[in-house]
Amino acid sequence: MVNLELLDFLIESHAQLVAEPVMGNMEDLFVLYKGIYIASGDDSYSLERFVEDIDSIANTSKGSIVFEENRLLSIEKSSHITKYIKLIDVYLLNLLHEQLVPSSRVNRTKNSKTDAVECAPASSSNLMDRLMVALDSAIEIKSDIESRKEKVWNHYLFSKLDELLTTNVGSNILGKERAMHNTPVAEFIPICANTEHSSLLSTLLYIVNNKIVSMQTTKLSKCEAQCPGFKECLLNNIHYVSNLKPQTDLTLGDCSYLDTCHKLSTCRYVHYLQYIPQSLKERVSKESQEMNKIMETKNSKISYYTHGECCSSSFKTLLPPQWICCDVRKFDFRVLGKFSAVIADPAWNIHMNLPYGTCNDIELLELPLDQLQEEGVLFLWVTGRAIELGKESLTNWGYEVVNEIAWIKTNQLSRTIVTGRTGHWLNHSKEHLLVGIKGKPEWINRNIDLDLIVSITRETSRKPDELYGMVERMVGTHARKLEIFGRNHNVRPGWLTIGNQLTGNCIHEMDVQERYDSFLNSASA
Amino acid sequence: MFTDDLYLDSKAGTPPKTKHVSFKPAKKFHSNDYSNNYVHRKSFPQKYVANIENTVEGYPKLKRLLEIKEKQILEYSSKPYGCKIGLDQMVPKLNQWIHKDKINFDIVMIGCLSDNQFIYPLLTQLPLDKLVSKPGFLFIWASVHKINELTRLMNTELWAKKFRRSEELVFIPVDKNSPFYPGLDNDDKALFEKMQWHCWMCITGTVRRSTDGHLIHCNVDTDLCIEKENNRDGAVPSDLYRVAENFSTATRRLHIIPTRTGFEKPVRLRPGWVIMSPDVMLDNFDASDYKKEISKIGTNIPIKAEIENLRPKSPIQKAQ
Repeated sequence: MVNLELLDFLIESHAQLVAEPVMGNMEDLFVLYKGIYIASGDDSYSLERFVEDIDSIANTSKGSIVFEENRLLSIEKSSHITKYIKLIDVYLLNLLHEQLVPSSRVNRTKNSKTDAVECAPASSSNLMDRLMVALDSAIEIKSDIESRKEKVWNHYLFSKLDELLTTNVGSNILGKERAMHNTPVAEFIPICANTEHSSLLSTLLYIVNNKIVSMQTTKLSKCEAQCPGFKECLLNNIHYVSNLKPQTDLTLGDCSYLDTCHKLSTCRYVHYLQYIPQSLKERVSKESQEMNKIMETKNSKISYYTHGECCSSSFKTLLPPQWICCDVRKFDFRVLGKFSAVIADPAWNIHMNLPYGTCNDIELLELPLDQLQEEGVLFLWVTGRAIELGKESLTNWGYEVVNEIAWIKTNQLSRTIVTGRTGHWLNHSKEHLLVGIKGKPEWINRNIDLDLIVSITRETSRKPDELYGMVERMVGTHARKLEIFGRNHNVRPGWLTIGNQLTGNCIHEMDVQERYDSFLNSASA
Repeated sequence: MFTDDLYLDSKAGTPPKTKHVSFKPAKKFHSNDYSNNYVHRKSFPQKYVANIENTVEGYPKLKRLLEIKEKQILEYSSKPYGCKIGLDQMVPKLNQWIHKDKINFDIVMIGCLSDNQFIYPLLTQLPLDKLVSKPGFLFIWASVHKINELTRLMNTELWAKKFRRSEELVFIPVDKNSPFYPGLDNDDKALFEKMQWHCWMCITGTVRRSTDGHLIHCNVDTDLCIEKENNRDGAVPSDLYRVAENFSTATRRLHIIPTRTGFEKPVRLRPGWVIMSPDVMLDNFDASDYKKEISKIGTNIPIKAEIENLRPKSPIQKAQ
């Protein structure tokens, strides 16, 4: 049996009941309801009865009241009621009300509308009248229960579907949280975007030999007076000041190469120097070290979310960097074993004079990269024309391309590269990294990072180090990881690097060493 | 003694003064790891790009070039045309334009930043090579997943012969609240959260970047657009149109949007473009009017000396 008064109460004040400060708390709802509908002094209507009544409404009209469990509530108030009302669907409650007391509610709303019409001036053809007629007919349609029901259900279905689509899965929430607790914090200093600051600062700094040597702190207070907050900003943000020289022509604007310009002594374009107070740098470095120390001690306790981790991850030490100098095209990949993640940065045969040899595109396609993984992820750097070729190769090696990471290349000033004829038709501000997956690796942590890397450009063809962190978060720090076509700056703990520009070999895994030795023997035999 | 104690006491109560903070410059260059920052602070890396709003900041010559080009492009624009049409009527209508009205376009853009587009059926049913003139330029905007699927079609010999893929453009929304956040592209297979839209830029016929300055202006824009604040008001950010306009000097431009974009993301008109969409705000296209107007404007924007001086050019080839 549905408590009609309670139903009325829920319909009338549904918005207030789930909003702050009541937030659907059952006990508070009970007090409110009792205050309005139950005569004072009458204690026969208990909280238990109230909860039962609410439940009966919720059961009669499924989905009209959505509950949520909150264990904290029971601890706080030592009460046995652990749920609270998260959502009241007033459409459904109205429907229920109509079924129980036909026409009461509809009539009420209809009457109020017709009253309004009567109040309006009686001239027949003015806009106001036409609007009111339109409104009335809308109500007529609505009061037709069948079509109204349909509308309500569509609305309900839509909100449910939307909820399903936008709900983040638990593994993702936990994975992100774990990544946050396990990834060491990198030193982060924001960059000041105020142009007035940099021009003020350039009057204070003393630059010798393209280096900031010192600052005239005596003038600081004057600048502060001119631009309040200047000092504070200096102590918290990175600033860039122009490095003006006798030959600099301000009207030309910035040098395309900025800090990587080879003709610093003759270039007439503007160059910049980065200013960070030593004290700021030390403070940020100390802060992140402290955070990382806390993280380390915390991690000595094993996290409950162990998806994709090896069982000894909490005390296992990371393998030091390993590398083998070899001609990748002639190397026997069986020596290396199997990997969870592979990065390859081949020198595609593009029309540019690169400072290193390029291997032929066909030769790249013929590399036996299908031998490296039973299941796992492969990252392939591609440029312009090689995008399709790369996708084709990945498919041939048994991978499915599931992501394309864009590396947004930035310069010294954290701006994207927009000049310098870097592409054939348009300038290139980004590079592509294809991500292929093989098999169904259930141990992979999905969607921890974005498919974007914003990072500064360095030596020719050197890729951003951010990728290593992203891969480690995805497959775990202890998983076996391989980089093909790596150079000396690519070697890294936990990774095996192969390439023909590495210095010598360094192998720590005994089985790899054994297979490598026998490969060398068979090659020389 | 007494005064000394008092002095010390009062000192202990106040926070240490920041009088002696050193402003001495640090020696090492610092660069931030924005991916690490995202993991810890949930702050999107693209937001730290310093030239989102003014992409050519620091380059006065390039800025001037873009300004003059914008002015000249507007000067040689047809009035904005809309062709409001149902999705199933698009192909018949375009066929009518091609065969009956004999209209060609030099720039054809297909798609917008929407997840649910019917690009594949459009591409397979349409005699696109007849719609796009030679030389002509084709831009196809879609989700990363869709573009990847289209790769299979576009790599077939028949297609690759007619439409040479020349650049891949990327559009990036600033955050997840953006109307351009590709939320539905994040399927179960994705390993990284997707934050991009891609565009295939194809060229039909032959243009050479060194000698065809009357047809194309290379290296003016880049292959990357990051969402700007004032770009949020419609289904198509104006940057998408701008890249095409700046690259080709052609004045006959068509944009086909094979999807419903709804009221929240209305399709706005743009001077110089014929926009075909079920949700475009105006339906005023008339083939003969259009042809008349184009014959008045000319099919290409004329060469302007100042632009020629400013625009990036290929290094001068040695005389043969």
